[in-house]
Amino acid sequence: MKNAAGREIPGRIGDRRLAPFEGAFATSRGGAKAGRPQKSAKRCEDKLLPSIDVAIDACELSDGMTISFHHSFRDGDRVVNQVLDVCARKGIGDLRLFPTAIFPVHEPLIGHIESGVVSQIEGSMNGPVGAFVSRGGALAQPAVLRSHGARWRAVEAGDVEIDVAFIAAPQADSYGNANGVHGTTPCGTISFCAVDAQYARKTVILTNDLAPYPVYPMEIEQGWADYVVEVEEIGDPGSIVSGTLQLTRSPTRLRIARLTADAVVASPYFADGFSFQGGAGGISLAVTKYLGDEMERAGIVGSFGMGGGTKLLVDLLHRGLIRAILDGQAFDLDAIESLRDDEAHVLIDPGFYANADSRGCATYKLDVAFLGATEVDLDFNVNVNTHSDGLLLHGIGGHQDVASGAAMTMITVPTLRGRIPVIVDRVTTVTTPGEVIDVVATERGLAVNPRREDLVERFRAAGLPVRPLEEIKAEAQRMVRSVGRPVFGDEIIAVIEWRDGTVIDVVRKVEGWT
Amino acid sequence: MDVRVGSEAKGDCTVEVRRGRAGGIEVETKNAELLGDGLRAVATETIAALEAEDLAIRVADSGALDYVVAARIEAAVREARPETEPIAPAVERRASPRDRPRRSRLYAPGNSPRLLAGIDIHGADCVLFDLEDSVPPTEKASARILVKHLLASVPFKDEVWVRINPLDGGGRDDLAEVLRGRPNGVCLPKAESAEDVRRLVEELSDLEATLGIGHGATWVMPIVETARGVLHSEEIASASDRVVMVAFGAEDFTRDIGALRSDRSLHFARSRIVAASAAAEVQASDTVYADLENDVGLAEESALARELGFDGKGAINPRQLDSIHRAFSPTKEELAYARRVVEAAEEAEAIGSGAVALDGKMIDRPVLERARRLIAYGEQLAEGEVAK
Repeated sequence: MKNAAGREIPGRIGDRRLAPFEGAFATSRGGAKAGRPQKSAKRCEDKLLPSIDVAIDACELSDGMTISFHHSFRDGDRVVNQVLDVCARKGIGDLRLFPTAIFPVHEPLIGHIESGVVSQIEGSMNGPVGAFVSRGGALAQPAVLRSHGARWRAVEAGDVEIDVAFIAAPQADSYGNANGVHGTTPCGTISFCAVDAQYARKTVILTNDLAPYPVYPMEIEQGWADYVVEVEEIGDPGSIVSGTLQLTRSPTRLRIARLTADAVVASPYFADGFSFQGGAGGISLAVTKYLGDEMERAGIVGSFGMGGGTKLLVDLLHRGLIRAILDGQAFDLDAIESLRDDEAHVLIDPGFYANADSRGCATYKLDVAFLGATEVDLDFNVNVNTHSDGLLLHGIGGHQDVASGAAMTMITVPTLRGRIPVIVDRVTTVTTPGEVIDVVATERGLAVNPRREDLVERFRAAGLPVRPLEEIKAEAQRMVRSVGRPVFGDEIIAVIEWRDGTVIDVVRKVEGWT
Repeated sequence: MDVRVGSEAKGDCTVEVRRGRAGGIEVETKNAELLGDGLRAVATETIAALEAEDLAIRVADSGALDYVVAARIEAAVREARPETEPIAPAVERRASPRDRPRRSRLYAPGNSPRLLAGIDIHGADCVLFDLEDSVPPTEKASARILVKHLLASVPFKDEVWVRINPLDGGGRDDLAEVLRGRPNGVCLPKAESAEDVRRLVEELSDLEATLGIGHGATWVMPIVETARGVLHSEEIASASDRVVMVAFGAEDFTRDIGALRSDRSLHFARSRIVAASAAAEVQASDTVYADLENDVGLAEESALARELGFDGKGAINPRQLDSIHRAFSPTKEELAYARRVVEAAEEAEAIGSGAVALDGKMIDRPVLERARRLIAYGEQLAEGEVAK
C-alpha cells in the first residue's frame, strides 16, 4: 500500500505488521507505558562486577536477546566492539542490537553478523555497516531506523524490549550513578540511554573512571542500575569530540549560511525570545555565528539555543544573546566544559527533547531550525539516510523531530556535491516529509514551500533571492550530464520509522545501477 | 612522452593522453556506477569535437563538472597534438553597458576548478578570472582553456572579465583562447602607457573580426600597478573607447617605489588614478584588500576609497563583497537628497527660474548633474539586485 508520503510500504515484514505513515501529526496513542519488573534494593548491596564476561553471566544474556548501547563516543567508541567480542567468545548468538547509532569504528560488527552473533539491528548505521547491509548483508530481519525521539518512544511504548543495556559512562560510582561530563574521557552526555537504563531487564554501567559515591550529576541513577563494571577503555578521547569544530571556508557553503541567516532575520520569528536549533555541520556552525552577530546588532535576546552543543553556541550564551542552551549531545570540548560549569547550559535527554508520545517536546518550542540532507525533492521531501547510489549510510538523528517541531524548518544544502545533484525529482528515501519543511536554502537561492506564502512575501521584501525549487534544480543540473540511479531489488533491508512508530519508507537492497 | 593535465584536487580531474596505444576512452571515478556514463558522454563529445578519436585518453575524475572535464580533455589533446583546432563553443553573452555599476571586481584563479565552482552565485558586479599571478607557468595553457569553457557553460548574470598575462608574456595566447568564451572585458596587468592599451585593442579588434564577434564588444580595464603606470594614468585612461574602468594594484606599486603599504604611501597614486579616470570619463577601481580575516580593515579601506572618488574595489574572496558593496552603494539618505535636488531643479524650471535653491543653498549645474547620475546609478543597482 502507499503511505501518505507516497511510498510503497508492505503490510507486514516477517511477523511484524507495518503501520503506514499517515501524516506528520496524524496518529497518537493512548496506551499505557511498558515497564520493567520492580526490584527491591538491599542495604550494602555490591553492584560492582569484575568483568564484562561476569556481567553477561549475571544478566543471563542468551541467544536471541536484545542489547543496547548509546553513541555518545561516536567514532571513538570502544564499548560495542568489546561487548560483542565477549558475546562471540561465550558462544552467544542471534542477538538483536539496539544502539542509538553505530559508526565506522564498528566495522568489526560485519564479522559478527556474518558469524551469526548479531542477526538484527535496530538503530542508525553510519558508514561501512550500512553499506554492507544495503548490499543484502545477511541480517535475518530488516534494520529499523528511528529518530532520537522515536527511539525513546519505542522503548516506552514497549515496541522494543531491551534485555540488557550496556551503558558506557565516563564517570560512575559503584552504586550506578553516572554521567558524561566528568572523568578522563568525557563525552558530554550519556542521557541517550537513560530510557534504556529505566526499561531494560538489566542495566550494566561500564566505566573507566570509578569514583567515590556519590557521583553527580546523575544522568543515570542508582535506582536504574543493576551492575557496574570497571573497564580499561570506553572511548578514544581523540575521536569522541573535536577540539574545536571548524567553520567552513568554502565560499559556496558560506553563501548558503549567509542566505539562511538573512532569511531567519527576515522571518517573523526573529524577535526577543527567539529560539533555534543549530548543528555541528560546517554550514550550521556558520549560520549560528551569523545569527549571533545579527542578534547582537538588533539587540535581541533569544530564549534558548538547542544543541548539539558547540563552542559557538556557548559563545552566544556567554555573550548574553541567549538565555539558555538545551543540550542533548556535546560536539566539542568547549561544550562539555560549559555543561559542567554553566547553570544555563542544561543537559536534556531525547525524551525531553522529542518524544512524540509524551506531554511535551523541547522541539515544539523551537522557532527556527537549519538541517542538512543528502537529497531534497521537488515536493520538499528530505532524505538523510541513503545516498543517491541507494546505499544506507546515515542515521536519522534528530532530523524528523526538529523538522516537525520548529515553526520554520530550513534545509541548508549545496545544489551539487561533486557531480551529484542534491535537488532531485524524487528522493531515494523519504526520511522527513515535505509537509514539515518550510525552506530549502541553497547557494543559488531560497526555495519556499508553497504552504508558506507568508515567508515568500517577507523574504522578497528583504531583497532575498526566492526562486522555485525546479529552477534551482535545473540551474545546477546544467553543469553535469545525467547521473545514474540505483536499481533496487524486492528485498527490504531497512524500515524507516516516523516519530510515531508508523513507517514512512523502506530501503530496499541495491542490485545494481543504471 | 605521455601527456597529463589537470589535478587530483576536489572538483577537478586529470586527463592523460597515452602514446603508442589504440584510441579509446577510459574513465575512472570513485562512484563509477552513478557517474561513469555521464563522464563518458562528456568525454566522447569533446574528443569528437577535437577529432581525436584515435588517441588513447584516460580521465580520472575527482568530482569535476562537465565543463572542467571538457577543458581538461581539450588541454591534454592540444598538448599532445599542437595542430589541433581549438573548440569554439556557442556562447550567448549579453552586452554590458559602459557605465553600469562596477562596485566590485572579484578575482578567481583561472586554474582551480574548486575555487571557480559556484563563482557566479556571489553577486559580484564583475567576476575576474585570473590567468596571470595566480597561475603558475606550467598551468597557463590549461588554465586559459578552462576559463574559455567556464565562460561558455555557466550562465553568468555578473559581468565577466579575464585578466590576461602581459601581451608579450603569453597574453596573446590568452586572448586567442578566452575570447572564444566572449568575456565582457579583458584586464591588462601592469599597464604603463597608452601604447600598451592600444596594442591590446589592436589585438582585440583582430580577434573579434576573426572569431565573428561584433567589433568593440570587449571592454578593457587597464590595471595600473607601477610607478610609470601611475604617472601615465591619464593617457592610459583615455587611450581607447574600450576602456571603461582603470584599476589600481597596490602590491606591485609599493614594491616598485620602495614604499611600505599604508594609506599614506598609496595616497598619491590613488588620487592620481581617480582624477585621470574622471577626466577620461571612465570608472576607477581601488586595489584589493589582502587580509581576509580583517573585516574592519576592509570596511575602512573601502570607505576611504569611496571618499577619494573610486567607484569600486577589488575582492580576493566572496566574503569581502558585502562590505565592498555597502561602501560603494549610495545610501538611502544620499538618494533621498539627490531626488530632492532634482525635484527642486524641475520646479525651478517649471516657473522659468534660472536659479535653483534647496534648503537655502544654491544648487549649481555640477551638483544637479551629480544628483541625476546618482539616481540613475541607484536604479541600475536596484535592478541588478532584483535580477540576482
